Amino acid sequence: MKKSSYIRYVGVVTASSVLLSLPMSLQAQPPQISQTVFMDGLENPWDMAFLSDGTMFFTEKCKGLSVRLPDGTVNNLLGMGGTDGYSMTADDLFCKGQAGMNGVALDPNFDSSRTVFVYSASRMGDDPATNRVLRLTVSDDFSSVSNRTDIVENIPYKQAPTDHPFGDAGAHNGGRIRFNPGDGFLYVTTGDNHNSSLPQFGDNLGSKVLRIDRDGKAAPMNADALPDGFDARTFTYGHRNVQGISFHPQTHQPIIAEHGPWHTDEVNALVPGGNSGWDPRPNMAGRGDCPDNYCGYEPNQNEGMDPEERRKYMPMTDYETYPDAMRPLWTNNNYSQGISSTAFLEGEQWGDWNGRLVVSFLGIGFGDTPVGQRINVIDLMPWGPTIMHNTEMPLPAGPARFRGLVMGPDGSLYTAVDEGQIHRFTAE
Amino acid sequence: MVRIVMCAITFALLSTHLQAADQEAGKNLYLNNCAQCHGPTAKGMASFPSLAGRDASYLKSRLETYRAGERVGANSGLMIPNARNLSDEDITNLSGFISQNFK
Repeated sequence: MKKSSYIRYVGVVTASSVLLSLPMSLQAQPPQISQTVFMDGLENPWDMAFLSDGTMFFTEKCKGLSVRLPDGTVNNLLGMGGTDGYSMTADDLFCKGQAGMNGVALDPNFDSSRTVFVYSASRMGDDPATNRVLRLTVSDDFSSVSNRTDIVENIPYKQAPTDHPFGDAGAHNGGRIRFNPGDGFLYVTTGDNHNSSLPQFGDNLGSKVLRIDRDGKAAPMNADALPDGFDARTFTYGHRNVQGISFHPQTHQPIIAEHGPWHTDEVNALVPGGNSGWDPRPNMAGRGDCPDNYCGYEPNQNEGMDPEERRKYMPMTDYETYPDAMRPLWTNNNYSQGISSTAFLEGEQWGDWNGRLVVSFLGIGFGDTPVGQRINVIDLMPWGPTIMHNTEMPLPAGPARFRGLVMGPDGSLYTAVDEGQIHRFTAE
Repeated sequence: MVRIVMCAITFALLSTHLQAADQEAGKNLYLNNCAQCHGPTAKGMASFPSLAGRDASYLKSRLETYRAGERVGANSGLMIPNARNLSDEDITNLSGFISQNFK
């Protein structure tokens, strides 16, 4: 059983404005925010999914899937290879680097289906490891899972280290999964594995956002928007490493967070068949050879340098090569600071922040880039993806490596932090 | 004569090794430069390794290697620029603080 900590911090908002587009008199009044340590003693918690009564499923990257019941009881459900104390242990599931058990999502019809989905790295026998999306049935008393079905089996996983920053196996692994309340399909975010042959090619599921049904089959309308020859499970392509996805409250348009290459983290509003314009191949677009055939951190992957100069050499969105590429909503002022997850605030208690997009950052200390551990609060136009205002969530309990964001049924914002906790932000 | 030289070398090495770390300076360096990735208790996070339980000589050796621009391990690209401007005193203080406080 996990130890829950209820140290309470209350802070008055002193949010600093990052981008102002309204006169002071018309600026939204932010709510008063508390930041609570909701769970402690976890190992690299990665994602959460809630039922309406507060039951919370959560993943730990190297341990597996567990559920916290409203009374605080924790049941360990699906363990990775080598773990103890789980109702089911799967020896093929493993963690390495950024890979492991990542995203979790609940079937919107959970009350009748009892179905949960998770994204995890898996190695079956002597076959190369992949990432998979697993479907499991949860017992009535939430004590166990059964009926494992792997609905996606071939999301690329980085097999071996390469000569790059964060260059270990398992890198650029994507891993967020969410149901879109608009169309009912499951969206799955993936990464480029430091492999330049993935993003712009449709014969693989890396560097993509997938749109699938509960059996892992392609959403029927995907193919209409895709280039010829693309895997029909693909919704969008040309991404670098997508770890965040949520859906606009009114339009249900997918909004993603995408890690940048030592510059330019992106928030993107996705359109079916869209190309996010990431193409780190060597010997094209003015580039020469690159370490291990991946230019993702060039022209100088081990030294700090002006992000604008980096962008010119290795753009996050290459408009010259791909003029129809999706244009990002926000580029984090040309910085890469470990953009991780997104969600939309919901509820009147958030005041003028009700309906705003929140975007989390892990923080990266490299070169002259500020570390940047924070959560941004972004006001999008009600009926379209245009940024009206961008500020920061107050952090009265301090910054952390904010990994995953989810709205809870109590109207609080929950965030998994790499330090081993789940924090709760409540508006009062 | 050889014996005297050897004794002098040994004494010099021991003096360097046993140089007292400034715990407060090490703490400040750690919290401002290392904790965001290795964690507030140095147990490691995400793809960043644990430093807990490492002895001071190991930590010192790694930091000196990175400072020299030499690659060791998958995160060398991150550690080399972070270590480049560390002084000998910084490395002693950091190694001492981490090894003493994160068992």
